[in-house]
Amino acid sequence: MSSGLSLAHEPVTKVAHGKLAMWIFLASEIMFFTGFFGAFIVLRNSNLELFSHSAAELTKGLALLNTFILIGSSLTMALSILNLEKGNMGKFKLFLGLTILCGFGFLIVKTIEYSTKFSHHIFPWTNVFFSFYFLMTGFHAIHVIAGMIPMTFMFIKAFTKKGYNHPVKVETLGLYWHFVDLVWIFLFPVLYLIFPAH
Amino acid sequence: MSGHHPDSKTMFDSYIKVASALFVLTVLTWVAALDWVPKSWGEAGNTLHIAIGLLIAIVKAFMVFYVFMHLQFDNKFIRAFVFVPIFLFFVLTFALNVLGP
Repeated sequence: MSSGLSLAHEPVTKVAHGKLAMWIFLASEIMFFTGFFGAFIVLRNSNLELFSHSAAELTKGLALLNTFILIGSSLTMALSILNLEKGNMGKFKLFLGLTILCGFGFLIVKTIEYSTKFSHHIFPWTNVFFSFYFLMTGFHAIHVIAGMIPMTFMFIKAFTKKGYNHPVKVETLGLYWHFVDLVWIFLFPVLYLIFPAH
Repeated sequence: MSGHHPDSKTMFDSYIKVASALFVLTVLTWVAALDWVPKSWGEAGNTLHIAIGLLIAIVKAFMVFYVFMHLQFDNKFIRAFVFVPIFLFFVLTFALNVLGP
């Protein structure tokens, strides 16, 4: 693109408008989760016994599996964007499809985890630790679902006659998807791991 | 696309490297959370566990921000959207935990 005013890119940062908007949204998202993490830390420090006994009930193995699934999905998302930019439609569809599958995998594991809790009579109102556990992982799961909706839309469109050729849009969605992975990177140690067994 | 990215082969290699590092660091987080600190350390042992867990998470977060989310190539101005909220997080947590009742 020649120099001069480009309508596709914001003049100061030179990034596409959509991407800049996504970064502004992500900044507000960091603050959204900050509130939960901040409150969680304060409550933990005043209820050490309760928090360490309650955290011992969580299934750490499933959380580890979900961490691997989300990191894998971040990689396939990045690779799908890379292939779309190269015009490599086949691999774009393959990696985007794998990303959606990882999203489903994550939600299935999450469902198994929640239903195990419910069958052990553990609910969001059981105690303050589980309130935060269900609130934080629940909001995170909603974010995963929210990311999968436009992803599925792009995936289906890629199979139509017109195809799907909007790398910047996929890149913008990618920013969001990596952020969702990032939130889990913190949820995993904070909720599941930093309570050493007594 | 800001047009400053290196060629796709270099990008592919760095994605694979970062994803592998993220997998290894996840396993490391798990190992570090095992009960290896002597009981006699008491509260200091707990603090050590938390510090290691969070330190690894922060390293992982910056790998995702800089490589997967392209902060290393995009205009430096974009970094404000990451660092300002993180700064506010520390202010909030410090205020609630240290200055609070």
